[in-house]
Amino acid sequence: MISVEKAAHAGKESLKSRMAAIGGSFSYEETAYHLPVTFALTGNAVNSAEEAQKAYNASAENPLVAGECLQAFQAARNGKESPPYTGFIPDAVLRTLGYSLVDGSILGLVLVAGSPPAPDTAAGLCRELQEKYMLTFLSGDIIQSLTSSGVKVGAEYRLVPLGSRPSSAIHFIDIIARVAMMFGGVTPGDAGRLLAYAKERAKAIVIVFPGLNDEEIALIDAFCLLGIPVIAAGDYDGDQWIRVQPADAVRTGMELKGIKVSVTAIPIPMACSPAFEGKSIRKEEMQVEFGGGRSPAFELLRVRPAGEVEDGKVTVIGPEIDAIPQGSAAPLGIIIEVAGKQMKKEYEPVLERRIHNFVNYGEGSWHVAQRDLIWVRLSQEAVAKGVRIRDLGTLLAAKFRMDFPDLLDAVQVTLITDEKTALAERTKAGKIYQERDDRILGMRDTDVDTFYSCTLCQTFAPNHVCIITPERPALCGAISWLDGKIAFEIAPAGANQPVEKGKIIDMDRGEFEGVNRFVKKASHGEVDRCSLYSIMEYPMTCCGCFECIALTLPEVNGFMVVNREYKGLTPSGMSFSTLAGTIGGGAQTPGFAGISKSYILSDRFLQAEGGIERLVWMPAILMQELKGRLVENLRKKGVESLIDKIADETKAGTIEELASFLVSVDHPVLAMKPLF
Amino acid sequence: MMGLSTLSEWTGRIGELVIGASHAEGGTRSHVVRIGGERDLPYIGTHPSGHKPLVAYELADDPSLWPAAATRYIGDWVHDTADWAAYAEKEYTPDLIRLHLTSTRHRGFSDTSRIGTTIESVLQATRLPLIVEGSDDPAMDSAVYQKIGEAAEGERILLGTAEAGRYRSVAAAAMAYGHSVIAQSPIDINLAKQLNILLRETGLPSDRIAIDPYTGALGYGFEYSYSVMERIRYSALKGDTDLAMPMISSATDSLTVKEVREAQGSEAEKTAVAWELYSMLPATIAGASIVCVRHPLSIAGLKSAIDSLWNGENVEGV
Repeated sequence: MISVEKAAHAGKESLKSRMAAIGGSFSYEETAYHLPVTFALTGNAVNSAEEAQKAYNASAENPLVAGECLQAFQAARNGKESPPYTGFIPDAVLRTLGYSLVDGSILGLVLVAGSPPAPDTAAGLCRELQEKYMLTFLSGDIIQSLTSSGVKVGAEYRLVPLGSRPSSAIHFIDIIARVAMMFGGVTPGDAGRLLAYAKERAKAIVIVFPGLNDEEIALIDAFCLLGIPVIAAGDYDGDQWIRVQPADAVRTGMELKGIKVSVTAIPIPMACSPAFEGKSIRKEEMQVEFGGGRSPAFELLRVRPAGEVEDGKVTVIGPEIDAIPQGSAAPLGIIIEVAGKQMKKEYEPVLERRIHNFVNYGEGSWHVAQRDLIWVRLSQEAVAKGVRIRDLGTLLAAKFRMDFPDLLDAVQVTLITDEKTALAERTKAGKIYQERDDRILGMRDTDVDTFYSCTLCQTFAPNHVCIITPERPALCGAISWLDGKIAFEIAPAGANQPVEKGKIIDMDRGEFEGVNRFVKKASHGEVDRCSLYSIMEYPMTCCGCFECIALTLPEVNGFMVVNREYKGLTPSGMSFSTLAGTIGGGAQTPGFAGISKSYILSDRFLQAEGGIERLVWMPAILMQELKGRLVENLRKKGVESLIDKIADETKAGTIEELASFLVSVDHPVLAMKPLF
Repeated sequence: MMGLSTLSEWTGRIGELVIGASHAEGGTRSHVVRIGGERDLPYIGTHPSGHKPLVAYELADDPSLWPAAATRYIGDWVHDTADWAAYAEKEYTPDLIRLHLTSTRHRGFSDTSRIGTTIESVLQATRLPLIVEGSDDPAMDSAVYQKIGEAAEGERILLGTAEAGRYRSVAAAAMAYGHSVIAQSPIDINLAKQLNILLRETGLPSDRIAIDPYTGALGYGFEYSYSVMERIRYSALKGDTDLAMPMISSATDSLTVKEVREAQGSEAEKTAVAWELYSMLPATIAGASIVCVRHPLSIAGLKSAIDSLWNGENVEGV
């Protein structure tokens, strides 16, 4: 076992003494960047030994500078190595390389240095790198090892042989330094910017085999400063060097730098596209169904440690499609296990919800509802074309990886059609659903410092800004605070942005300095103030997607809420659509608010004006939907009797009828302070 | 007579974009053009802010994929792209030439070296700053844009067209060879903004982006484009830096609308020119810095109309 620390120390000393011994003039040809690493780090243009010494001192004796100066010195003295070795790569070639990196036709840069234990190891590693769209640079004996086992090297094979000694590895860094100066706007001499660029933007990794001398170890060890992970597939022991088996080197390196290969086609005998999402499968067309009350079925998505998830693996427990009678209902458990460095437990429900979309993307597969209420069908046509239950798993694994490339590194799917196993797993899933509900329910606006915005609807309501809080979901009902958070992580430049709450201006009304600041900017200066919990003062603007409209009824001193599905007239004298036409389009309309259904159940529901206790009317269809949860809420508040005091169209169709109804039930609004 | 006065206290400013590189800058253009720089809406004030809108003449390397209404008038010049460009520069004096590489749209196209030759010959034939439009097939983008970028290195061309799903090759060519990029979104302010952010994330500086909000033909959706251009400009002037880039608008579909296609005899040229003129002049009023036409006779009318608005002439009678 070689101690990297000791070797690097000795290597630095040796580099230093060799630096002191060089003389005369030398430089690279066909570049505008002099000795690029030295130029980028120190700003010094080196053309001679004296200048090299000066730059070396200026860099605080950085081994990268020494390595580069010595390499250039030797190339000038002895001439370039003969082909296939490339030596220093000219700017013109580098420009095309930079192009491919920005273009995405190569995903990252890899340096492989040293002597692999066996030719097969090297060949396998390089094949894997080629398959994963990496551009690989080779330094040292590995090149001999590859050519002897018949692997072709050269830029056209994405395997660039830099030089016969591992010291040629410095060219890997001069490439990164030039890409940083050409494409990254890094100014020569600004070492800080260079390091930041290399760390954050350069998708580069190094894989080291045995056979490096002390100087070369010092050189490679200095790569760590640039945030380039050094993967050691040999007997090196260093703090920052990551030891792996050769077979795991590529995967480990790519994971560390967050380099991901995107999936493009899904290998199943069924088309898969959002175009099929709305297509349902009727009973007569169905081969088999799962769940829907006829058999036990559930779905669950869980995050797991990276080591426990094998990407793309699909397991079917129980009978396949051909062992299930046509037209019958079979049990189904869909368990999706995902791993990803940025994946968090709290994202699980948001991703799990996507199972619904993805299964519906299949031309012959259909899905409704969620959790243990799911109902899934496969069509006869699809099964005749060869679709198996397993293919649902392949589809799900691929779609999750495609749609969440930054979040998920690996996805594996287990499908259970064995009744006993399905039932047992469903019981376990039930506990997880419960935990999640408790977690979301428990979240309060006061627990977080950041809300999320949604400006998705600015396409047609250009100045509308939704502010989404744990206790007030988006007015469309489709995006909760957690959804906003995850959407931002997935697409940092997208329509959901974090909104810092800032100082409280009025907690009762829900007005915050940070929210006002954000709304002012995002509404293009149109809206100065925004109250999150008030309908009267600075209410939130509306686009047109609101699930419900809340409005004040001055005659009875209360609010009413009407949902989109209710087509009749309301006690305000207007229908939902007439009301929607008057409040939408991004305007602030005191007395009116566009809200989601679940906001009615929130403790923050228009609390500035008295909250739920001021609610006097909602359509029977909406009450029916919310009743269970509303009763629970009211019971917690100790006002359970309120549930029967809220009128609907059968009890009061006009404002006059509503007024007398409220008196007859002694609604609390009668005793509340006037709204106006 | 004074021009119109400003409507609002704007806080933002549109960025400046330079197209073309002179000999001193390493290119071969006789002059370079600057667009953008506005602090107010177009044509406002006695001395409007920013640079005057410019007119680009569009041509194609394969005229068989170009509207008949455009090629008919030009005649035989269309058979040699470089001659066509030189002739148009001399006869019709547009401010820029916009070359569409329609040859790349043929099925199975692979002759990227010919694109390079075409671009080099057009650059030699005309001294005007150049806009070049590459392929519209993601499968060949990488090869095509690299070739364009390389062939025009040093000339600081405006390179089109980046879209939300396929912007990497265009951005890469611009960054590697020192060009600027047209960022096109389908008549949607938010997608325009998102694309600008995506381009910025590749490392392309915002002073090398021109927004193309996509322009529908007059009578076929132009009003949507006009409205989106206005909104992009309002947002930019109100301080949204992600939208504070100059805009380019092209009467792309004007020469293929039914009215132009079916116009007969002496009406044919008049209808074609009218359709382009009355789409592109309003586009400058909505904020476009470069307007593009395909009928050569549209150029003079458009330039003189822009001049009169710019200089505040004829405002008295309005």
